[in-house]
Amino acid sequence: MPNDISKIVSVPSDVQGILKKACYDCHSNNTEYPWYANMQPMHWFMNNHIQSGKAELNFSEFGSYTSRRQQSKLRSIENSLKDGSMPLNSYTLIHRNAILTKTEKLLLMNWVQNSKDSLNKKNFN
Amino acid sequence: MKTLIYSSVFSLLFLAACSNGSNKTKSTTSEDATVTTAVASGSSEKGTSTAAVLASYLKLKNAFTNDNDKDAAAAGNEMVTAFASFDKKSLTPEQDKAYTDIYDDAKEHAEHIGANVGNIAHQREHFDMLSKDMYDLVKLLGANQSLYVDHCPMYNNNKGAIWLSEVKDIKNPYLGKAMPTCGTVKEELK
Repeated sequence: MPNDISKIVSVPSDVQGILKKACYDCHSNNTEYPWYANMQPMHWFMNNHIQSGKAELNFSEFGSYTSRRQQSKLRSIENSLKDGSMPLNSYTLIHRNAILTKTEKLLLMNWVQNSKDSLNKKNFN
Repeated sequence: MKTLIYSSVFSLLFLAACSNGSNKTKSTTSEDATVTTAVASGSSEKGTSTAAVLASYLKLKNAFTNDNDKDAAAAGNEMVTAFASFDKKSLTPEQDKAYTDIYDDAKEHAEHIGANVGNIAHQREHFDMLSKDMYDLVKLLGANQSLYVDHCPMYNNNKGAIWLSEVKDIKNPYLGKAMPTCGTVKEELK
């Protein structure tokens, strides 16, 4: 995956783990479909949902965004973590382990901040 | 098993509600289009038609100074239309590249503002990022009118944010009616 976010900024393994369990199902090209995804109307419905999630933010395609958009996306990640709008309630309802603990949230916030800074530096040099 | 069924139904409802929201945005854009073109033909003279984009941005800014999420959403949708009708033909290749970079980002912020009636805090987050794009856009292509670059030091946990204004008086779009005169003029664009 040449455009994966890990190619653009450093993603420590603990951060990677959180992203994978809480974000990647809807925001990457590596969706882990649950068993009921094979049934209609869940299948149609989830695909729809995942498509809009990926259109909004796709960690696997992060490198294809313009640098301006990368900054905006990181800022939006920060905002949605802060106000708790992500992961969606409808997702955590089933994926209980996607509910972020305080520590996990902090870890992600720090990572977002560091990523923003490192991208900033890259663009000014 | 029972809980699973319940939760599936719940999430279905939840998401159905979400998709309704975005449909609504789409349906309003067509009527906004007429408004935008009226604005555009009124104030733009030269080839670069930032006028329509700028007009919708200022409308958006004024909606936020009044804490009005609905007007903000309408202006956001108007801005999407204005961007769509922007004519890139008169741009040099370098300008085109810079414009596309700004456009990709700004359009998305405008869309989000349009789709988030009822969540003015979220709309303002996008307005913050959009304002930086607009600043760069005006720097790139000019504005055909004088503008003030204002700075609010308190927004976003005192990280601060800028906005563009057509008037010299400070009317803060981030804090709205709570602190309308907070901020300073940082720069004047002519």
